[in-house]
Amino acid sequence: MDTKTLLILIPALPLAAAVLTAVLGKRVLRAQSHLPVVAAIALSFAASLLLVFQVQERIERQAGQAVPAASVGCEGTLATLWCWADVGTISLGDNPTATSKSLQSPAWGDLRINITLRADPLSAVMLAVVTCISTLVAVYSIGYMRGDPGYWRFFSYIGLFVFSMTMLVAASNFLVLFVFWELVGLCSYLLIGFWFEKPAAAAAGKKAFLVNRIGDFGFMLGVFLIWIVYGTLDFHDTVVDGHTAAMGVLGPSRLAHGPFVGGWPATAICLLLLLGACGKSAQFPLHVWLPDAMEGPTPVSALIHAATMVTAGVYMIARCAPLYAASADAQYVVAAIGGVTALLGAIIAITQTDLKRILAYSTISHLGYMFVALGTCTLVGATAGMFHLMTHAFFKALLFLGAGSVMHAMGGVLDIRRLGGLRHRLPVTHWTFLIGCLAMVGVAPLSGFWSKDAILLAIQQRTASDGASDLFHLLFATSMLGVLLIDFYTFRPFFMTFHGPERIPPEAGDHAHESPGTMTGPLVVLAFGSVVVGGYFEWTHGFSHFLAASPSLAYLSTPTGDAAAAAAEHWSIVAISTVIVVVGIMATAILYLGNRKNVTRLARAMDIFGLYSLSYGKFFIDPIYNALIVRPLLSLARLAAWFDRHVVDGLVDFCGAVPGRLGAVVRPVQNGMVQFYALVMVLGLLVLVVALLM
Amino acid sequence: MEICRLRFPSDHEQLTTNLPMPHEIALLNNCLIVGALLFGIGMIGFASRRNMIVMFLSIEIMLQGVSLSLVAWSRFHNHFGGQMLVVFIIAVAACEAAVAMAMILALFHQNSTLDIAVWRRLREANVPPLREEPLPEPPADPPWPRLTPAGRRPEISPEETDYRPRV
Repeated sequence: MDTKTLLILIPALPLAAAVLTAVLGKRVLRAQSHLPVVAAIALSFAASLLLVFQVQERIERQAGQAVPAASVGCEGTLATLWCWADVGTISLGDNPTATSKSLQSPAWGDLRINITLRADPLSAVMLAVVTCISTLVAVYSIGYMRGDPGYWRFFSYIGLFVFSMTMLVAASNFLVLFVFWELVGLCSYLLIGFWFEKPAAAAAGKKAFLVNRIGDFGFMLGVFLIWIVYGTLDFHDTVVDGHTAAMGVLGPSRLAHGPFVGGWPATAICLLLLLGACGKSAQFPLHVWLPDAMEGPTPVSALIHAATMVTAGVYMIARCAPLYAASADAQYVVAAIGGVTALLGAIIAITQTDLKRILAYSTISHLGYMFVALGTCTLVGATAGMFHLMTHAFFKALLFLGAGSVMHAMGGVLDIRRLGGLRHRLPVTHWTFLIGCLAMVGVAPLSGFWSKDAILLAIQQRTASDGASDLFHLLFATSMLGVLLIDFYTFRPFFMTFHGPERIPPEAGDHAHESPGTMTGPLVVLAFGSVVVGGYFEWTHGFSHFLAASPSLAYLSTPTGDAAAAAAEHWSIVAISTVIVVVGIMATAILYLGNRKNVTRLARAMDIFGLYSLSYGKFFIDPIYNALIVRPLLSLARLAAWFDRHVVDGLVDFCGAVPGRLGAVVRPVQNGMVQFYALVMVLGLLVLVVALLM
Repeated sequence: MEICRLRFPSDHEQLTTNLPMPHEIALLNNCLIVGALLFGIGMIGFASRRNMIVMFLSIEIMLQGVSLSLVAWSRFHNHFGGQMLVVFIIAVAACEAAVAMAMILALFHQNSTLDIAVWRRLREANVPPLREEPLPEPPADPPWPRLTPAGRRPEISPEETDYRPRV
């Protein structure tokens, strides 16, 4: 199969399955509703793997030919499906040609939106990750969602989500990207509120949607600004008869020769896009929706709110890396927001008591790491961020699914204070969860180790490169602190849930046993992935070489420096972080496997500085937002409602009441006496006659 | 009572204009007086009686009064339009009588009474009912002389005992 067919098949299959399940699920498929969706997603995954190999082949071929285009990477294969919008040339101002010349974009004013999919290394990697995790989660859901009245609805939503997400990462146009950006948001909303009878779930879905609206608004403005500045929304160049007819925003010809607009428009574009990424990827200050999103079914938390959808922001920034390269200020903001979020998420995760919420905050923290890596805006940083995205997808999905398995066995209880010593009851879950934890904290050969160190290395390299070294020094320090915190917040719930005296909540009943094979199978596969993925790609250097061939990332600078010194630095970072990890795990083990009173003592000691309450209260961000934004808006809405009810409605009611009142004046005439009516008629006639005769 | 003023035309006028003859004017006057009387009687009857059938008869009387005036004017003007109209009125009145009697019968079935006052309940809601002064008690029957019963008790036919005033 050629690349274009594969590229179209990958999103088309899940969409077809979703539609099929939506139409037939309720009446025909019923308990078999998973079949079309799981099959379609698995096929998509196979197609994605094929696509990766084909892209790889193409890169090698190009490298062999040594064409000049190789300097800016492989443009990849484009598959244009149809033209979505064609507004034609818009005349802007008196002299449009002059304006467009000044911006050096010949197609300016010609708004033409094609639905174009692209297969370059970046999108191929994302497609493979998304479909891989989706397949495993879909299989897991067969067991987890069995017996739910909305079984078919669930799988229909999952199919729709995979379609939207694959379109999002394959889109080659900012507007199409935005459309599917919104569509994954919709799927997220639908799936968070899947159990909409539960008020908390409905509220969480609403909150996620509204907070994302803020980010999406920024994204939209960013897209408008891109159109104004660059005159096109396509990533790719428009090639007609072998020569470039119009430069795309991120096309090879612009990457090779420029120009990228600098100055305040570049910063504005980057910051607006960042706002969108912050909403979708749950970065401070828009991170508040993600912990609440844990109200959804656990497979959804694993798939959408840990592994794939929330990484859309990371993907988008990696895709727009050349734009960020044009604005140093924007890079600093990305890195700073990432750093703040990484630390904030880690600190909050330490004291939470809900297993899924701990994982949610750790997701926020890890996404923060990815943002820091992208904020360095070097090739090493960007590939490290994407690498961490991939490894994180594996081990975070694993941890969430493990939490789901615990939840399944414990009758829905996830409060780690009420659980304990489950390692005998749930052996498979215990071991896979342990592997996930080890991968997340970054113990030597597991995947998290490689990606985390890649990020730390990228930050370290950036400290040496230019004027903002203070910022990156600080970020490096906080990242190291974060590594220590990861140990603590990862192993604290692990020890509390699986070790210590056995504690099973009464809700579990006689159900406290290992989950069925459809659930443990994906756990084992993901655990295998968590162990292997990082090391394999790191040793072969396959991942960074592969990604470096995608046009956006190839544009980024590679630090030129002493290779030996860099290697030495690398090893020192590895050594330091490994020591931190080992010390952290041991400290946590001592605290939670030994006498738990020490924990209380430690918490009390921390509370002297208010740290404990700050962490337990999630930095009081929700109450602050409530007081600063929600309450004033609610008051305004109430005022508007009062005005509507009393002033506007009052006016309308008054108009309606006037004829009624007038009618009431003459109503007594209708007294039911026929003789009276006749008399009135005669009197009226007399009046008429007299009036005529007068 | 004079509706049209009687004026005897002078000889000159008699020759030049086509004024009606005095006896024609007298006839018209009389007819109009009778018509007005019929109309007034019907109106008073309609306003003062509560029996629906009597009220209906009163309406018919009013109609006849109007018809009479029309015929009188028709003759006076020597124009048959009025009389044609009266023929129409008679035809329409026949239909109207059929409809009205059907309606009265339907109303009677509702309440077993022909009293129009019962239907005051069709007034607007929230309008207080008219206060009805009770009629003075009819004078008690004078003490009729009682005869001692004599002879055979008359046999009452079943037709009479089974008679039901309502359908």
